[in-house]
Amino acid sequence: MEVTTFTLITGASSGVGREVARSLSRSRRLILHGRDPARLGETRDLCERPNEHLLWSLELCPVEAIDASLVALIHDQRLAIDGFVHCAGTLKVEPLRLLERATAQEIMDVNFMSALEILRLLVRRKTNGKHLRGVVFISSTASEFGARGFGAYCASKGALDAFMRAAAVELAPQVRVNSVLPGATRTAMTETMLSDAALRQRMEADYPLGLGEPGDIAAAVEFLLSDGARWITGQQLVVDGGRTVNITA
Amino acid sequence: MSGIAGPLSLRSRRILVTGAASGIGRATCELLSRLDARVVAVDIDGSGLQALEQQLGGEGHASLCADLEDLDRIPGWMADIAAAGPLFGFVHAAGVSCVQPVRLLTPAVYRKVLTLNTEAALALARGFQKKSVRDPAGGSIVFISSVMADVGSIGAAAYSMSKAALHGLSRSLALEFAPAGVRVNCVAPGFIDTPMFGRMSALWEPAQFARVREDHPLGLGTALDVAHGVAFLLADTGRWVTGSVLTVDGGYTAH
Repeated sequence: MEVTTFTLITGASSGVGREVARSLSRSRRLILHGRDPARLGETRDLCERPNEHLLWSLELCPVEAIDASLVALIHDQRLAIDGFVHCAGTLKVEPLRLLERATAQEIMDVNFMSALEILRLLVRRKTNGKHLRGVVFISSTASEFGARGFGAYCASKGALDAFMRAAAVELAPQVRVNSVLPGATRTAMTETMLSDAALRQRMEADYPLGLGEPGDIAAAVEFLLSDGARWITGQQLVVDGGRTVNITA
Repeated sequence: MSGIAGPLSLRSRRILVTGAASGIGRATCELLSRLDARVVAVDIDGSGLQALEQQLGGEGHASLCADLEDLDRIPGWMADIAAAGPLFGFVHAAGVSCVQPVRLLTPAVYRKVLTLNTEAALALARGFQKKSVRDPAGGSIVFISSVMADVGSIGAAAYSMSKAALHGLSRSLALEFAPAGVRVNCVAPGFIDTPMFGRMSALWEPAQFARVREDHPLGLGTALDVAHGVAFLLADTGRWVTGSVLTVDGGYTAH
């Protein structure tokens, strides 16, 4: 009997996660994860065949709660998960002298530790059999470059990418694991940054192809999960409109 | 795949591919034709080009037998090709391998590698940037580099140098061409089963061959695997990707 498989998307209630959900819903059944059930429902309504997708509402911080919640979801509904896209992320810009340890811990938990926790559970035989095939982490160009006030955020994305490479090596050839490193796209997370006219102007000048859209990132995720990428694993794909090669701005 | 307007569709886009008669170039031409692109196949091997024509789906393809070592003539024949319709982009898949210890690496030897692998890419970009050659709506350029741009190997000095230079070239071209809506990226393959790989690996000890195979967590790849990465960057799926390197290597550089 053929098992119906699902792709789990964290952070699906807004921004890149919502757009990834919309585009993957054309070809896959999804488990949409987010904190707020109402906003998750909005994402589901934007998807193709909304009734075929499931919702999973949970705070990813503290990470200790993920285990019981995810295992219960999988067992109760007898799910098989073959894809995992970690879009959940939090960005708080704090100068180091003002940064509180709890804030740094939350950033590490949401951006990195929760991805490790979920992947750890999805490759456990008793939880998810041998169903997992493709994993994509939404990292950031902050994984590769520093910026003022971004210490914890850069660390979390750097950890995510280092973990991605190790998981790719360990889980090959059954599971492929890759990261997409977006530059700044127009989302709720960057809205406050972009509402500052001066900052917005500077950012637009930094991006040779202009600011991105969540759909630009979703296209890369869809490719990396597809059979066309069957020989790609352990890689960081930068999707940033040329931002990180641009020193002329 | 032909006729299906998927996200990778290249419908009616005219794309030039060098090194089209074999290996990655050939697989790229075949895949692009199935994605409804109009392919301009360029190679020094005329009979190889004729054989390729039989393999292409769709229509509107063209081919040209040319020696890319003749750098000065490249912009000229690109203009001739564009007279039949502007180019949306090009893929520089032509290249030559070189396994030589440094003591044998005379200027004549390494210059040939640099000319074909690297300088031809720049000459193609020079030909492409002319307004009469490229599609005014924008475009996409892909250089086939190599994991050897990022890792080293004894005897690979010239080859590594030529491929690493493509990464540097693509980053600056990405910035220079961005205002015209032209994106520039590299695909860096690991070791795949092509005629070039056969020539290179024939010089290896069996133990070295076994190690290279083991060093790819997903096993050795195929030219088609690389072609899929090229198609992603050429199509609208890659519309916000420029100055990037897409490594297609079965995990070779991750471990």
